[in-house]
Amino acid sequence: MFGRLVKESFVRNPRRKLLTAAALVVGMAVATSTLTIALEVGDRLAREFRSLGANLLVTPQSDTLPVEIGGVDYRPVNEGAYLSEADLGKMKTIFWRHNVLGFTPFLDVPIAIQQSENAAPTRTMLIGTWNAKEVPVPDGTTFKTGVSVTHPWWKIRGRWFRDGANECVIGAALAKTMPGIVPGKVIYVSDETGVNSVQDHSTLAKGTPLEVVGIVSTDDAEDKAVLAPLEIAQNISGHPGKFRQLFVSALTKPADAFSERDPLKMTPTEYDRWFCSPYISSIAFQIKTVLPGTEVRTIRRVADTEGNILSRVSTLLWIVTLTALIAAALAVAATSATTVLERRGEVGVMKALGATNTLVAGIFLAEQLLLAIAGASMGFVLGALLARSLGSSIFGTPASPRLILFPVVLGLAAIVAFTGSLIPLRRAAHFNPAPILRGE
Amino acid sequence: MATLVRVDDLRKEFGKVRALAGVSFNVEAGEWIAIMGPSGSGKTTLINILGGLDTPTSGQAIVDEVDVARLDESGLTRFRAQKIGFIFQQFHLVPYLTAVENVMLAQYFHSATDEKEAQLALERVGLADRIEHLPGALSGGEQQRVAVARALINHPKLILADEPTGNLDEANEETVIQLFRELHSEGHTILMVTHDPAIGNLADRRIEFAHGRLVKVTPSNDASRNAYR
Ligand SMILES: Nc1ncnc2c1ncn2[C@@H]1O[C@H](COP(=O)(O)OP(=O)(O)OP(=O)(O)O)[C@@H](O)[C@H]1O
Ligand SMILES: [Mg+2]
Repeated sequence: MFGRLVKESFVRNPRRKLLTAAALVVGMAVATSTLTIALEVGDRLAREFRSLGANLLVTPQSDTLPVEIGGVDYRPVNEGAYLSEADLGKMKTIFWRHNVLGFTPFLDVPIAIQQSENAAPTRTMLIGTWNAKEVPVPDGTTFKTGVSVTHPWWKIRGRWFRDGANECVIGAALAKTMPGIVPGKVIYVSDETGVNSVQDHSTLAKGTPLEVVGIVSTDDAEDKAVLAPLEIAQNISGHPGKFRQLFVSALTKPADAFSERDPLKMTPTEYDRWFCSPYISSIAFQIKTVLPGTEVRTIRRVADTEGNILSRVSTLLWIVTLTALIAAALAVAATSATTVLERRGEVGVMKALGATNTLVAGIFLAEQLLLAIAGASMGFVLGALLARSLGSSIFGTPASPRLILFPVVLGLAAIVAFTGSLIPLRRAAHFNPAPILRGE
Repeated sequence: MATLVRVDDLRKEFGKVRALAGVSFNVEAGEWIAIMGPSGSGKTTLINILGGLDTPTSGQAIVDEVDVARLDESGLTRFRAQKIGFIFQQFHLVPYLTAVENVMLAQYFHSATDEKEAQLALERVGLADRIEHLPGALSGGEQQRVAVARALINHPKLILADEPTGNLDEANEETVIQLFRELHSEGHTILMVTHDPAIGNLADRRIEFAHGRLVKVTPSNDASRNAYR
């Protein structure tokens, strides 16, 4: 009998049911798509961010193990091997040259800074690099690259140095310790070994004057250093045309089981497929062939800011989901309030015949549950499609639907349908039959 | 005979309106009582209180050893399902359930459904060929007979009928009244509100109301009974 009552009340007034179901479908579709994207977003954003900055580090193969403290390489400058700046144009000749978005060489030199020619020196590191260098490519063209491509998250106050000029930018942390240094001021830098051997400042070899043009914050070791054109670092260290590290930013296909395999053990067809896929491993392999004697490592950098954005995006998704659910609950509340009012008469009869409040509430609840199941099923399918197209437009590849979400969405729909009809339902259960039967 | 209903100084006020102003009477088991009186005199109010649809302001209304004035909401619900068979002027069938389902509904609220028994009850009121009809497809008299079958299905102690023929034409009225006569002869206790003195004469006693008070009790005799058509 219960089933019969629920079924009858379910099939009646299809227009209003449709309205309630539509509210549930929309709510659940939004919930499904946002949850699908939220599950996907962690993965996706991490990938997005990695592809933004440098994701490969090229170092000389024979280099000794790095002695890095706080990100600063403390190995003596003349120890270890160097790479040749002149070879870098070859980076744009590899099979996946178009996926190489940029590359920047680095050379660190321990230095002493003086704010004027006779002032007390401060010891720090000078990092020679490229800001926006025109690199000649063997095919006769040039390729402009530098830190703005490989390290886009570095923030500059003032402006970057011009490659080839006697200019520099200083790290934010270093700038704090030396209040006198502001953009526009000239500092004098010299090889730190010179300071070590000569105790008397007055006899110190005259340093190279560099105009400070900006203050850079990187949230990393560079904050404590001076950044200058690569050429200046090469001259101070006495290694003209050389550098120590190369950061490469390459557009890559996410790693999968295939990309992790050893290319030496592949069949020729597999090797071709691997070589012709922009996996990070195949790009690294191709870099090694144009820069022999190097080692190519992948870097996985997830900076704090990225984590922040991730959590903000998921907060946003949660808010959208919650809003959709509340809106659906309100729509359910509106329609179920009308339904209950409209069916006051039969509720009064049932109660006069001895139906308990629980039973009356149960009939309405069961009906809402059926609606919730219908709404959740349709909403899930719609939401999965929505996530697919949203995923495509936001991340470039569709967010795959996750079946695990179906019970979650079903549960949410049930909660929405129940909370939405709670108040009208309580009213229905407590209808007083006498006035209803009287016809009031 | 045992006393089934005991009403003592029953009062009911709706705000300032005194619907019942101190009513006392008893009903023996198996008795058929006709409740009469002008509109607004408190007849329906009395029926509702005895049937557990309403609670009195003061006084006692004991039905089968239960004082309905002392029952809480769920107690009243159980009381209605187990002891009372209601028949209303407006029939009050559930429109989307068939005749037999309307009868089974009362079974369901009482304990458990039994379709066979529900069908027998409909045959009993002469609706063997209307079992699967929806109320909308039945005449007023047929609908009221479904309501009678529904009221009887749980073997109630007390049948309360509020103007059961008020919405029926003469022919249908006759069939329904014939049913009540049979119920009475089978030993059912019936309280029936009616405006028709001829119908009132069929009962064992007529109780007349005016302004919420019981003003006259008339026992019937065979002569008046035979006067009904
Ligand atoms: N729920 C209510 N609220 C306010 N007043 C009510 C209510 N129910 C009944 N009354 C009043 O109580 C009085 C008695 O009403 P009741 O329905 O018992 O009369 P009745 O004898 O059944 O009349 P009728 O023959 O017209 O059915 C009337 O004055 C009516 O207006
Ligand atoms: Mg009345």
